[in-house]
Amino acid sequence: MTEGATLTAAELRERWYQNEISVPPISYWSVVRRRFVHNKLGVVALAVLILIVAAAVFAPWLSPYDPLIGKPADRLENIFSFSSGHPLGTDEQGRDMLTRVLYGGRLSLLAGFVPTLVAGVIGTIIGTWAGLVRGAVGAILMRAMDMLYAFPAILLAIAVGASLGPGLTNTIIAVSIVFIPPVSRIAESETRKIVTAEYVEAARLSGASRIRILRTQLLPNVLNEIIVYSSGLVGVAMIIAASLSFLGLGSRPPTPEWGYMLESLQGDIYVVPAVVAIPGLFIFLTSVTFNTASDALREAMDTRLS
Amino acid sequence: MTIDASTDAPPILEIDGVTKTFRARVGLRQVKISAVDNVSLTVQAGSTLGIVGESGCGKSTLARVIVGLHKADGGSVRLAGTGFNGGKRSREIVEHTQMVFQDPYSALNPRASVGESIGFPLRVQHVPKEEIATRVAKVLEDVGMHPNYSTHYPHQLSGGQRQRVNIARALVLRPKLVVLDEAVSALDKSIQAQIVNLLLDLQTAYQLTYVFISHDLNVVEYMSDKVAVMYLGQVVELCDAAALYESPLHPYTQMLLTSIPTLDPTQRAAQETPDNAEIPSPLNPPSGCRFRTRCPFAMDICAEQAPTMITARPDHGVSCHLFDPDHGDPARISTEGTR
Amino acid sequence: MIQLTTRRFAMAVLILFGVSVVIFLLMNVLPGDPVAALLGPDASNADRLALRHNLGLDKPLPIQYVDWLGRTLTGNLGYSPYRRAEVLSLLSQAWGNTAVLAGFSAAFGLILGVALGFWAGVRRGKIADKVISTVGMAGLSVPSFFVAIILLTFFAAKWRWLPAGGTAVSGGFGQGGITEFVRHLIMPVVAGSLVTLAITARVTRASIVETYQADFVETLRAKGLTGTQILRHVFKNALSPVLTTSGLQIGYLLGGSVLIETIFQWPGIGLLLYNAIEARDLIVVEGSTLVIAGTFVIINLLVDLLQAVIDPRQRHALA
Repeated sequence: MTEGATLTAAELRERWYQNEISVPPISYWSVVRRRFVHNKLGVVALAVLILIVAAAVFAPWLSPYDPLIGKPADRLENIFSFSSGHPLGTDEQGRDMLTRVLYGGRLSLLAGFVPTLVAGVIGTIIGTWAGLVRGAVGAILMRAMDMLYAFPAILLAIAVGASLGPGLTNTIIAVSIVFIPPVSRIAESETRKIVTAEYVEAARLSGASRIRILRTQLLPNVLNEIIVYSSGLVGVAMIIAASLSFLGLGSRPPTPEWGYMLESLQGDIYVVPAVVAIPGLFIFLTSVTFNTASDALREAMDTRLS
Repeated sequence: MTIDASTDAPPILEIDGVTKTFRARVGLRQVKISAVDNVSLTVQAGSTLGIVGESGCGKSTLARVIVGLHKADGGSVRLAGTGFNGGKRSREIVEHTQMVFQDPYSALNPRASVGESIGFPLRVQHVPKEEIATRVAKVLEDVGMHPNYSTHYPHQLSGGQRQRVNIARALVLRPKLVVLDEAVSALDKSIQAQIVNLLLDLQTAYQLTYVFISHDLNVVEYMSDKVAVMYLGQVVELCDAAALYESPLHPYTQMLLTSIPTLDPTQRAAQETPDNAEIPSPLNPPSGCRFRTRCPFAMDICAEQAPTMITARPDHGVSCHLFDPDHGDPARISTEGTR
Repeated sequence: MIQLTTRRFAMAVLILFGVSVVIFLLMNVLPGDPVAALLGPDASNADRLALRHNLGLDKPLPIQYVDWLGRTLTGNLGYSPYRRAEVLSLLSQAWGNTAVLAGFSAAFGLILGVALGFWAGVRRGKIADKVISTVGMAGLSVPSFFVAIILLTFFAAKWRWLPAGGTAVSGGFGQGGITEFVRHLIMPVVAGSLVTLAITARVTRASIVETYQADFVETLRAKGLTGTQILRHVFKNALSPVLTTSGLQIGYLLGGSVLIETIFQWPGIGLLLYNAIEARDLIVVEGSTLVIAGTFVIINLLVDLLQAVIDPRQRHALA
């Protein structure tokens, strides 16, 4: 299209117009959806994930047994022993494994989602505030985040968990504390980048108030980054929570949390190894589907690819 | 390429003695950056004022002071007679002055569709919803894009298309004055030509006044009626575009234009900068005339006194002691000039 | 470069102080009353007050911190009544063992990870890549303690090929020499380094793929370099993100040592910490957490400096 010397601007424009008339309208989320669907692995992962979540939510209706009390006489039935009425076997106290796994799913999913959500909200608030206001308080806050960030994640979770005491709530608090610093870092650096961007200047030129700019320009862009990052955190949160339970710092007996179940069963691993492996397998399955799905989501949302 | 529309109405843009200084921290010290120093310019309706200079000369800062994104520390900015210095924008101001930015990508919200970005100024100014869609479609057509593009996102467009969207957004409120800060500099050369021609067409169609800022002399000459040359925050020469290229007066302008080495010994002296020339920075500009450290014709007075804008020829101002009737170079001062 | 080093050093020192504050707050503000724990419920009030005064618990918190910091910096990390030993000596013994385990795990995970990631990146899109990427994704999703239990069950309990725990190193390579040492090392290293392996492979692969698409590769091709020579250039340039992630991975290994050492009864700081938590031996908990976190900070500092040496661009980014 470099014949500009012989065509006038108006003629050039007419040419474009004719070319472009066939352009169909596209929206952002339809592009994301299309790209996500392309990624077969991601779709499978998402499907499995939905199944797991559904199974956990509908646990009481899916299995008649009591997850907390069992009959010691039935203890350590092996997996697939359908005659005994326990398709996944029983644990060392005679409790039905399938039931415990389903109920445990609720707790583990909670331990995955809640810290991610809490850290997402609090971290975003802290980071955005520090990036916008940029005063002494913001700087001090971010330095405090740096101090926490200097710990290896598991260690910090263990330290906080140890000092707070056992229990799932404390575990959730501990993991939230571990996640807030990285989220706030991302929020702060994104906020700084956006605040100086030219499209924010253009918004000011339109006469928009500061609140409006915050709402329409700043937050959507910051949140996009945060969501992409947080989606990868859920699996990590689950594993950290399970690790804490495994060490005896998390859920207390008789709670059917997967990490704790693995710990209490491990002594009987020579008797019914398949049963003992079940909670571990479920942790693995949930974690892997989460990671795969979030990877696929990240790729689909990447605005740099077209 | 211009519309001559001189009337007795107040000039579209009048800036008088505008100064802007930034404070920054280098290491542990507070430093002052003199970005714009005592700039005065007037722009008549329908014309194009070009502002040209190297990077760091303060032209982008000046652009932002003109549109009110920065508050001037001294002097005044008058848009069609009304003073404006940052602060809250009234509807009149928003509809009077708009700006097109340099980087086509970072000038658009990546999370907003083209239609949303262009419609944003309309929504802020409470234009009724039904009207917004029509106006967005119309302005997209005017910049040469199909209205279907309004559902697209910036990352789906090319650089040239994005810049068209930027222009569309600036024009959707039908402003009278548009400041273009390096609006074509980030584009490929061939696209540059298309956008420049588009801008000229739009100037006629929308009856716009442009302030066109660039470091590219050729584009500035093509687009502008009058040109101001800036160096280290000051205007050193102000004249018609043609005059600038045919007879540049200020040594800095000459340096910009004559970049080809010459064999003519009389010309050569004019091109050599003194051996101890340092490239000054806005943190610590030279005393007196800011260009003197790179000027082959620097005199003693240049270090002591800052030059003022002298009308050396009709409609041709220079800020240089060489043209001062009192102590200038007689060969340069023509009898047509006045103080 | 010197400026950069001094700066990063100063920052590391500041961070270490911050870490010590965090640990102090965690250990002294949250858990219950140590006086009650030590004296039991029947002690008289006078005894309680006397002990509080002796332990310095009636002073304001910041003073307690300063005292504690002073003691720590001079090497006095306290005395553990449960282990009947100076905390410092417990830590120094344990640290060596953790260093050995973490070191081997890091070496295994990083080197193999880079190799696999490199192979996957170079053979992008082909079977090798798909296999490695999928296995990699699985690897980083599996909890290390689960792998540990499985390994123990099969290799130690069922087939008895490998020992169930401990090291063979008490007092040097005594019984069995290197073979025994390696036999004890295999399972903890594999279990602990799986995630490191997976993540390093992923990062390496992504970096290789990205570098291959850089413009300079075209230039090299145009200059007529062969595939192998280009490979070498690509490899050198792709190394930077791998270096960054290796620092983080070592942190992960240090943190994960609590799990691995507990399962395999490896006498390192992780096991020390775990036992201390069980026994509510707060002094040891304090000391071990401090040492682990401090090691992490120092390692990150070294990685940053190494980055600056290798990649000139980083020098400006980090300064």
